[in-house]
Amino acid sequence: MTDTTTRKRTLAPWVGLFLTVLGALSNGLPFIGFPAASVPWISLLLSLTGFVIVLLGLWRAFGQSTVYAGKLSASIAAAFSLLFLAGAIDFFWSARHIPAESAAAPQVGQRVPDFTLPDSTGHSVSLTQLFSGSAGKEPPKGLLLIFYRGYW
Amino acid sequence: MPVAISVDASEVSENLRRKQGYTFPFLSDPKADVIRRYELLHPRGSPEGTDISRPAEFLIDRSGTVRWENFTEDVRVRPRADELLAAASAIR
Repeated sequence: MTDTTTRKRTLAPWVGLFLTVLGALSNGLPFIGFPAASVPWISLLLSLTGFVIVLLGLWRAFGQSTVYAGKLSASIAAAFSLLFLAGAIDFFWSARHIPAESAAAPQVGQRVPDFTLPDSTGHSVSLTQLFSGSAGKEPPKGLLLIFYRGYW
Repeated sequence: MPVAISVDASEVSENLRRKQGYTFPFLSDPKADVIRRYELLHPRGSPEGTDISRPAEFLIDRSGTVRWENFTEDVRVRPRADELLAAASAIR
């Protein structure tokens, strides 16, 4: 005699969901000093692996429903992990969607154009002025120009 | 000495500078004029769809010559400090 209580439960949907969540969280690794270059790939890999495991759970719950219970929980886990996977793919794409046409940007060995811009107190400063140093300070030997996206 | 440049308004940069405790200058290029001149424009790259700078770093010496530079392929990937420090120590 087979009733529902004898069917096995599968952990796969939850393990998979956990991995997709971990994938999303791993995008924050550079903020805690983790070498950043591999992070995009770690996030994507975790999310994809997690989703595959969720699919395995779905297949168990629906395809092998005489052996495994948990259609509802597998569906819920699948819906959430799909959201996280979609988010991870979108984030991966947009983070790498940087225009490639910087070929004309200053190259090593070339001189950069001078400029004058207001600093954060509203005073205009030029590149030349930055090199001359401020009062009481030794002029810098070099400058590191950091162009950043803003909106921090 | 680091110099940070973005399209953020002076007040926004000042806020960020204070919050992070940075003492180096933050320059504002709201119309992206300098960013354009350096060929670093990322058209409609901000969340609001306005033009911003792509992330890029240039180490320049006193003659204004680039000694090291870094263009990331992924906004999550930051330059390697060891590469930068090696290039900086080569400037005399």
